[in-house]
Amino acid sequence: MNWLLQLYPARWRERYGEEFGTVLASQRASVGLVLDVLAGAVDAHLYPQIQNSQSKPIKGDDTMTLEMLQRCTVGGPKLSPQDRRIASVFMIVSALVMAVLYIGLTKIYHAAPAVEALFYASFPALALIYEQTAYLRKRPWLTQTFVLGAGLLALYLVMLAVSVIGSKL
Amino acid sequence: MLRKAKDDAELDDFGRFSEPALLILVSLAERPRHGYSMTEDIEAIAGARLGPGTLYGALARLEARGLIEPLKSEDRRNPYRLTALGERALRVRLDSMMAVARTGQRRLAHA
Repeated sequence: MNWLLQLYPARWRERYGEEFGTVLASQRASVGLVLDVLAGAVDAHLYPQIQNSQSKPIKGDDTMTLEMLQRCTVGGPKLSPQDRRIASVFMIVSALVMAVLYIGLTKIYHAAPAVEALFYASFPALALIYEQTAYLRKRPWLTQTFVLGAGLLALYLVMLAVSVIGSKL
Repeated sequence: MLRKAKDDAELDDFGRFSEPALLILVSLAERPRHGYSMTEDIEAIAGARLGPGTLYGALARLEARGLIEPLKSEDRRNPYRLTALGERALRVRLDSMMAVARTGQRRLAHA
């Protein structure tokens, strides 16, 4: 029956696994017991109660590495409601600007590949704008501009290449 | 009164783990216990045997909210004890249940 423990998250097993196994082994195997353990596993995945303070501390003062590790954890880094609000507002404003720009350029240049590329790039660009403004908000202004600008430029160039190829087919 | 309401609310967001959590607190009110001992004690006092999934779902919630704490483990079986916060939450919840029970009994007597 202890194989059922594998259904629980690793951090949960690390914290409660041994004692859980002891209690599990003490009970008579039954359908009800299996269902109880399964429901517990689902709950442990949906609502992990393990506190951050209970995890092993990361040694050293390498804040860059620490930040990267935090970004790789499930759910990503924690964003404050203010971070999310600012990123959302920035994304909405960007969407409006891109829509106006696209409509304006379509009036002038019609369905030119460069205009079409703007249309195609706008959807992933909005996601990129949200991510970058949320996660890079505490970085220097120059860094934010460079990372976001380079990302948007790369995205536009890819879409432009796709549009040019598409127009020649 | 505000403190009382806050303490009483400690167990309110436990969902389906609310009753097991209360039984665990009652079990630990006597002395620190490990998981197996808790299931035995709860079976004796409430007639229900908690499955490990339910027991540890409730234990994890109680621990995360600071109502119980693990003691230094002597072996694989980690004992837990009530914290001051847990003791206060248990008192408030039991007082509230007793008030409801008294009212119910009084009304039934007059029915």
